[in-house]
Amino acid sequence: MVIATTGDADVLLPPVTTVTSGINVSDLLFCRLAELKLGLNTVDDSGFRPVLARSWEHPDSLTIVFHLDPRARWQDGAPVTAADVAFTFGIYRDREVNSPLAPFLAAIDSVTARDSLTVAFRFRRWYPEQLYDATYHMRILPRHLLDTIPPVRLATAPFSRAPVGDGPYRFVSWTAGSQIVLGADTAWFLGRPGLDRLIWRVTPELATAVSELLSGEADAMEVIPARGQLERVEQAKGVRLVPYPSPFYAAIVFNLRRPPFTNRDVRRALAMAMDRETVVRSVFGPFAEVAVGATSPMQWIWSDSIRQLPFDTVAAARLLDDRGWRRGGAGGMRAGHGAPLRFTLLVPTSSQVRQQAAVILQDELRRLGVEMRIQPLEFTVMERRTQTGDFDAAFISRTIDPSPASLLQWWSPGAGDNIGRYADTAFQSLTAAAMRARTRAEAAPLWRQALGRLNDEAPAVFLFSPRNNAAIGTQFGNVTIRPDSWLATVTEWRVIGAQPGTRDRGAPRP
Amino acid sequence: MLGFAARRLAFAVVSVAAVVLITFLLVHAAPGEPMLGTPERTLASPETIARQRTLFGLDRPLPEQLFRYARNLASGELGESFVLHRPVAAILGEAIPNTLLLGGTALVASLLLGLAIGVLQAVRYRSRTDTLLGAATLVLYSVPVFWLGLVLLLVFGEKLHWFPVAGMTSAALRESLSPLGRAIDVARHLVLPAASLALVQAAVFARFQRSALVECLDAAYIRAARARGLTERAVVLRHALRGALAPTLTLAGLSVPYFLAGSVLVESIFGWPGLGRVAYDAIFARDYNVITATALVSGVLVAAGNLLADVAVAIADPRVRLDR
Repeated sequence: MVIATTGDADVLLPPVTTVTSGINVSDLLFCRLAELKLGLNTVDDSGFRPVLARSWEHPDSLTIVFHLDPRARWQDGAPVTAADVAFTFGIYRDREVNSPLAPFLAAIDSVTARDSLTVAFRFRRWYPEQLYDATYHMRILPRHLLDTIPPVRLATAPFSRAPVGDGPYRFVSWTAGSQIVLGADTAWFLGRPGLDRLIWRVTPELATAVSELLSGEADAMEVIPARGQLERVEQAKGVRLVPYPSPFYAAIVFNLRRPPFTNRDVRRALAMAMDRETVVRSVFGPFAEVAVGATSPMQWIWSDSIRQLPFDTVAAARLLDDRGWRRGGAGGMRAGHGAPLRFTLLVPTSSQVRQQAAVILQDELRRLGVEMRIQPLEFTVMERRTQTGDFDAAFISRTIDPSPASLLQWWSPGAGDNIGRYADTAFQSLTAAAMRARTRAEAAPLWRQALGRLNDEAPAVFLFSPRNNAAIGTQFGNVTIRPDSWLATVTEWRVIGAQPGTRDRGAPRP
Repeated sequence: MLGFAARRLAFAVVSVAAVVLITFLLVHAAPGEPMLGTPERTLASPETIARQRTLFGLDRPLPEQLFRYARNLASGELGESFVLHRPVAAILGEAIPNTLLLGGTALVASLLLGLAIGVLQAVRYRSRTDTLLGAATLVLYSVPVFWLGLVLLLVFGEKLHWFPVAGMTSAALRESLSPLGRAIDVARHLVLPAASLALVQAAVFARFQRSALVECLDAAYIRAARARGLTERAVVLRHALRGALAPTLTLAGLSVPYFLAGSVLVESIFGWPGLGRVAYDAIFARDYNVITATALVSGVLVAAGNLLADVAVAIADPRVRLDR
């Protein structure tokens, strides 16, 4: 299967890989101890299936003991051992490796090999997502191939560009800026993958990548983000769209350190003046959901029952009047407290949809008497401005992982990514209670109350969560997609019909 | 000739050094965080970013960073990419041959096509052919390269399937092809991107060549050649064209920046893994070392192009003496 992708990988070593292509490829080279099932239930053990770990148990509230599958092998023939797991934990936590995933492992105190196939994870405290944290963030690495490399040089080591893994696919080749080839490991201990070869073709221009798909030079794309390109694929033969929830949402975040956003009612009024349904349908058509809060349909806490502020321009105007922001300024715009009611919204030039949405919202706010200036900025510049607090409002998008705990990464006080500096004790109490809940049924209402509280306080206006559409050739069957990692189930995909096409005739087989 | 080459070489070295210095200062002065160069990297915490900055010496004062860069450069060290975690020299080493292949092919093709059109227009001066070709070259000259690339891709790649739409080689078959098969495969992939670059520049060459040749055909030495009874073909190709080549050859040398700048767009559109794409990605990622190194390489290529053009003019036109 040839996959068209718009970006090349950086490295193929999971602790330090940061770009999407690199993550997608290395995910198929290195296994986790256990994998989330398609339902993405991060709380109960029933939400996971064994991979490198054949089974696991909780001998006490602070320990998980994993029993490794004795059939698991590195692709050089060495067995996967408990020592590899302990070594991997050390690598992820090593400051010199500087893995961006290290903070997600902060609750794990130690990982100890008890024998060659038994490894114990010791936690600092009890919480229901211990299994999730122990398995989701780390992909196990081969100690015998990496322990001689200084941690600070791991990212630049030759291994990171031609790795030896334990996953369903073997590394074959990487031509920088051009393509990465993986071949099926026919001896993989959990069964031979259904597709012999996976080839990522790097085509930076989205329209060209879609052309590759339509001309038969590529078979699949992870996501077709632009509405115009989606319509091209919809009309094409030989390719079909496979919809799945996206792992991100977009929001306008207010800087709560700056007036007028220090005032809750002003923020609520602005939120109520935005007709999110109109924005979403105008920009995306049917290819996005109106966000119910700081989540996406990928997470199990997503629900239409989450409390949201209504679209109510009359109530919005009343709130602003009550807070002393009255019409009467230049052009009928609102003013008060010695200043006009206006602010600047930062929008990244890399996102066409956010630029389009910003223009619609600008018009809606103007009708309320609020002047919103749009400042398009290059992505890195906007990130710098938001990280240093140099902004009024920013049109951001957030990629979230399957755990609702990711909510804390963006909205808890002290979190580095809480760019608007939102802090609310009621929200913190609700999320703390949700984190302690033992089952998904107990946790879900608490998380939803927390999201509702966030909507009430309006530190941001949560606008949309796009509906991802993968493009997959019609020759592939048994296709399922796990939203957080679109190729997580690719070992089960199959080619329908035995004969390869002209393009693949003569291609090497594993 | 040698004295001239030495003077030009010294000038080129100074120019390239100035280009590197200005680029270094500009990229460091530009707003943006190099450790947040791609949306995915926002996963990194502020602490992780701070450690990365320290690792690459970005926490040092700018003069110190410049001094370190200059010292490393003097010893042939171009640094490491912040994003790709690879030596910059290795990245450029892979990309430069691909860009030279694309740009070189486009340059030769545009020169040959431009000369042919220009000569035809000149010998049919003020005829219907001249008018039609003049209009055609004007249209081509006005077309943005990226737009032409997209049109060629859509028509000859996606619709007619005559040529591959993207990449430098076929994805599935590459490993099973013979060396000759691979060469043919690369040539097929080269057609559309090279044509996108070449067609626009061919129009420029044609217009210059036509004007120069029309002027030459009216010169006294051409009238003398005709008076000696030479055929019109010999007059045009052996005498007039040789004298009229100088402006076009000079222009060919000066067009190296066009091919380098054009390759940024064309390589992105066609997924051609060359220097232009490396530069494009590096600029958006604020990958300082890669940006500065691509400026260095581009400066060297432009200087070399100009030098070669001067030499070519001297060879083509015996009236030109470079050492004067």
